[in-house]
Amino acid sequence: MDAEELNLLSQTLAKTMAATPSGPVLCSALNELGWREMLAETPDVAVPLVFRLLGETGAHAPLLADVTGTGTLPYAGGSWVSWSREDAEILPVRRTEAGTPLSPEALAAGRRAAGWWLLGTGRAMLELARAHALDRQQFGKPIASFQAVRHKLAETFVALDGASAVLSAAGTGELPALLAKAAAGRAALLASRHCQQVLAGIGFTSEHSLHIHVKRVLVLDGLLGSTRELTAEAGRLVIDSGAAPRLIDL
Amino acid sequence: MDIADFRAGLRAWFTTHDLTPPPAAPADVGAHVAQLSRVRRELWDAGWMRYGWPESVGGLGGPAVLRAILGEEVAARDLADSGFFTLVEILVPTMIDYAPPELAAELVPKLLSGAEQWCQGFSEPGSGSDLASLSTRAVPQEDSWIVNGQKVWTSLAQYSQRCVLLTRTAPGHGGITAFLVDLDTPGITIRPLRTMDGAEEFCEVFYDDVVVPSSRMLGQPGDGWRVATDILPYERSTCFWHRSSFLFSRLDRLVGEAEEPDAGAIGSAYLSLYTARARCRETVRRFDTGGKLGPETSVDKILLQTAEQELFDSARDLIPGAVELDDESPWRQEYLYSRAATIYGGTAEIQRNIVARRLLDLGKEQ
Repeated sequence: MDAEELNLLSQTLAKTMAATPSGPVLCSALNELGWREMLAETPDVAVPLVFRLLGETGAHAPLLADVTGTGTLPYAGGSWVSWSREDAEILPVRRTEAGTPLSPEALAAGRRAAGWWLLGTGRAMLELARAHALDRQQFGKPIASFQAVRHKLAETFVALDGASAVLSAAGTGELPALLAKAAAGRAALLASRHCQQVLAGIGFTSEHSLHIHVKRVLVLDGLLGSTRELTAEAGRLVIDSGAAPRLIDL
Repeated sequence: MDIADFRAGLRAWFTTHDLTPPPAAPADVGAHVAQLSRVRRELWDAGWMRYGWPESVGGLGGPAVLRAILGEEVAARDLADSGFFTLVEILVPTMIDYAPPELAAELVPKLLSGAEQWCQGFSEPGSGSDLASLSTRAVPQEDSWIVNGQKVWTSLAQYSQRCVLLTRTAPGHGGITAFLVDLDTPGITIRPLRTMDGAEEFCEVFYDDVVVPSSRMLGQPGDGWRVATDILPYERSTCFWHRSSFLFSRLDRLVGEAEEPDAGAIGSAYLSLYTARARCRETVRRFDTGGKLGPETSVDKILLQTAEQELFDSARDLIPGAVELDDESPWRQEYLYSRAATIYGGTAEIQRNIVARRLLDLGKEQ
């Protein structure tokens, strides 16, 4: 797929996600657009694109099950959740009995996908906060002109770009996927905190869409291992092997 | 030369050429400089130091990424101070792009081969973040320019033969002019500055009626700001790759030395460093395939400086006392030096200003 085709596909997907009710309806719409074929044939293109766009558009659909092969997924703290196909504002995820442990490959694939979803969600929040900062006037000027506000948005941008690099480097393998989910979770949690602060009062109301992204980040972070758990797991791995795997070479 | 061949050949060469530095105190800059010269000379004689540089300055050609790999292998073996080793990255491109070709051909090999050290005279007491306000004056006089003023934070000036110097020749950004100045010229006084890590790396350099031949001008009058900003892509690609490699070697050392390494802290330091490395690889590759680097490299800078300080903070936490009680511990000097990571090369605040203005398009500050 060349850059132009990819761009066209990206626009079609984004439009569909924005115009279709989240949940099973969106799932059907994406299947009609060839989601499952894309996943089977070009997962390296399909997963980053579709999950990032879910985040950026604020839509949701039960696509993680297609990636991991199961709708019952491990969650932070050794618990389990299942993905119900019901419509829900945040994410239709609820606690459930322990399921079958995922294969290492399925777990890695799920973490990469959740990572891209977190990244897209972070970007959606940054865009909301950026627009608000430029629009909102206090003391006779846009709050975007105040350095304290600018630096919060800048730090969010940096964290998300860093996570994007880690996700892009997570082609195959378990540790790269673990690190990618951790980096994306860390960046999205930071984005939640900073964007909530910049959006201030309006962002605290349920009339503004920020809260949906914030709550979704909390759930996505817990799925397949939280940032805190994954970071500690990476740390144990480094300690046990006595050196930090570089993984990335020129 | 192919990247993989270069790396394999270099690694093989290192197995038969032991360049391990003799023991020296961590803050003994003189010893580091002597070791640096030795490493450069050996690498030059064997050819490794010449790859990635054009033949016009004594190089053997090939992509700049070969220099990034050389720096990584040097850092991995702790053969030379990574900051010093990487100085050529911000000096040689200036010479290639701005010096008269015969001057570059004559002098650059002396730097690359370790025969000479050079430094960079940019910052002034009154011009730190606001570098373009610099006031060291150069006034034309026949075939020369007369320089008066004061520089500060000039790394290794006391060990250097030459300096890339920014001067004021007219008002504004377009009134800055660069010269390559011989530091043994009469009128130059160098005073090393001791920093909080106990080292004397940086210097104040005073210029009193220093006569610089016009033939030593880099570019044209007024090109100085471009000379300064053109360095950025090299600093933000090859130099950062060297630095991240050095930091990885310190993370390995920390894991080996900590008696009760905390998985959360080690994992977090690893994640930060890995993130900086992933980003840096994207940048190095983009630059290597002809891409233009710009304000987006402030992202790289923030990721790397944050990772560096987190790593040394963790070292202090996990090897209790090494930083504050053990005078001879390398952790002490390196921890203290890392405090400057958010200051040099454009402060953390300036980087965030650039991200806000240029990447997020937030308009002007109030």
